[in-house]
Amino acid sequence: MNFQETRNNFRKKQVSAKELTEESLKKAKEKSELNAFISHFEDYALARASNIDANFDEFKDKSLGGIPIAHKDIFCTDGKKTTCASKMLENFIPPYESTVTKNCNDAGSIMIGKTNMDEFAMGSSNETSFFGPVKNPWGQSLVPGGSSGGSAACVAADITTISTGTDTGGSIRQPAALCGITGLKPTYGLVSRWGMIAFCSSMDQAGPLARDAFACSALLNAMASYDEKDSTCSKRESIDYEKGLNKDFGKLKIGILKGIENLGISEEVLNAYESSKKILEQLGHSFVELDFTELSSGICSYYVIAPAECSSNLSRFDGVKYGHRSEAKNISELYLKTRAEGFGDEVQKRILIGSYVLSAGFYDAYYRKAQKIRRMIKSKFDEFFKDVDLVFLPTTLDQAFEMNRKSTDPNRMYKEDLLTIPANLAGLPAMSLPNGFSKNLPIGAQFVGNYFSEELLLNTAHKMQEVTDWHKMTP
Amino acid sequence: MNKIELKNLLFLARLQVKEEDQDKTIEKLQNTFEMIDQMNDLDLDKFEPLNNPLELTNVSRSDEEKNRNKKEEFLKKSPKSDEDYFVVPKIVE
Repeated sequence: MNFQETRNNFRKKQVSAKELTEESLKKAKEKSELNAFISHFEDYALARASNIDANFDEFKDKSLGGIPIAHKDIFCTDGKKTTCASKMLENFIPPYESTVTKNCNDAGSIMIGKTNMDEFAMGSSNETSFFGPVKNPWGQSLVPGGSSGGSAACVAADITTISTGTDTGGSIRQPAALCGITGLKPTYGLVSRWGMIAFCSSMDQAGPLARDAFACSALLNAMASYDEKDSTCSKRESIDYEKGLNKDFGKLKIGILKGIENLGISEEVLNAYESSKKILEQLGHSFVELDFTELSSGICSYYVIAPAECSSNLSRFDGVKYGHRSEAKNISELYLKTRAEGFGDEVQKRILIGSYVLSAGFYDAYYRKAQKIRRMIKSKFDEFFKDVDLVFLPTTLDQAFEMNRKSTDPNRMYKEDLLTIPANLAGLPAMSLPNGFSKNLPIGAQFVGNYFSEELLLNTAHKMQEVTDWHKMTP
Repeated sequence: MNKIELKNLLFLARLQVKEEDQDKTIEKLQNTFEMIDQMNDLDLDKFEPLNNPLELTNVSRSDEEKNRNKKEEFLKKSPKSDEDYFVVPKIVE
C-alpha cells in the first residue's frame, strides 16, 4: 500500500494508527535479515499510535497523521538511543529531540525505529556501520547504497511508506536509486540541522525518502521549517509542497549534459536515462545541452572539504564529553585509545585526510583549492539556471553492487558519488526517482533544481510518476 | 608519505594505528590523495574560495530566558556523577 492510500484510509477511519503501526512492526520483524534497523521502539510506537487513535480529530488532517515512519539513526531522539551507527555512540541517549524528528512527530507520524546507516554517514554502501551492513531488498548479496541505506531499504521493503535520511554527497539519492525509491535532498538550509549529528556541516542536509514524489512532498511539508537553533536555516515562508503537485509549471527547459557517455556510466543506466528523456519529451519538455566538463572535479573538492569538516566535527568525541570511553593512564592516552577503539576504519581514514589537508603548509594546496572548485561548480550551475529550469542526469554510475566489492580502482567507492556530489557542493536541491530496471534491479535518475525549487522538483517528478510505473515496483 | 609523517598526522588527529598496520594506512591515504591531486590540473585562479553555498546573514534572537537546563536528567544520563557534578577522567595534568 502506498503512502497516499494509507493516509486516506486512516483519514476515513478505515484503518487505525494502531493497525498501521502493528503492520509496520510485524514487517520489520519479518524482514529483520535486511538489518535495516539499529533500534526498534515497539512499546513506544504502539502507545503513541493508541494515543493518536484516541485523539483522532486532532491528527486526521495532519500531513503525516497516523503514518509509521523510520528515522535515520543520525537524528537525536530524546531519551532514545542515537548511535550514528558507530561504536563511539553505541550507548548514547540524547537528552533532547532533533528538529526533524520533532517536526515529524508534530505532523502526526509514529516512529517505529531508527535505521542503520554508514558510520557517521561516511560511506556509499552501508558497509561501514558498526552494526553490520544493510542488505538490499532487491538482492540480499547486494548493497542498498549509503549512507541512508537502512532508510531506503525500509521503504523499498514496504516496512514503512516514508523514512528520513541525510545527504552530504549523495546519501539520500544514491540509496534511493539503488533501492528503487524516490528521495529528495533539499536546498542547503531548508531543513534544520539541529540535533542531526554533524559530519560536514556546510553540506549536510536532511530530506525525505519514500516510494513516490507525493509521499516525499508530504514528508517535506513536515520536515522543513525555520529553526532559530540552526543559524544556517533559511528564513523563508513555508510552501505547501503537496499542493504544489497540482500546479502547472508549463513546458520546461531541461538541461542535459554533453558527453555524458564518457563519464563511466553503465549501459543499463544510460539506456534508462535515454528512455526517461523520451518521457519528458512526451510531457512537453525540451532539452538544452550543457557543457559541464568541470563535473568530475567535484569529487576532488568533496573529498577534501568533507573530511576537513569531519575531522573538526568529530574532535568532540574524546572520551570525556560523551560516547565511548577507554581505560587509560593519562589524558593523552585516553584520547588516542578512545578514538582508535570508537571509530571504524573509514571514519578514521577521513579524519586523517581532514587533519592532513587542514594542517599548516597544506591548507592552500588542498583546502583552499577545494573551496575554489566549490565556487567553480556553483558558478557553473548559476550559469545553467539562467537558461534551464532543471538539470537532468543519472543518479549513479551503475546499479546496486555486490557487498565487499573488489575493484582494481581503490577509489571506486568514492566515485560512486560522482553524479550526486555537485549538488551538495553548490547547496542545490536534487531529487532521485526510479526510471528503469535491468536484470531485475532498479535504476535511478535525478533532477537538480535551482535554490529553493523543491516545489518544481517534486511537481516534475510527480508528473513523471503519473505516466510511469517504476516507483510502484516492489522486490 | 612516510611513517614519520603518518605518526605526526596520527598525533594531530588523536588517533592510533598499530605499527604493523601503518604501511596499509599509508597506502590507503596515498591512493585517496592520488585522486584528490587531480585538482592540480585545473586553473582556478579566477575563483574565490567558497565556504558555504548560501549567502548567509547573521542570525540574532531576542534576549529571552529559556531554561533548557534539565540538570537532573543530564546528570542521570552521564556514565558517572556525584551530586551536581559529572565525574570524568582526570583531564588536567
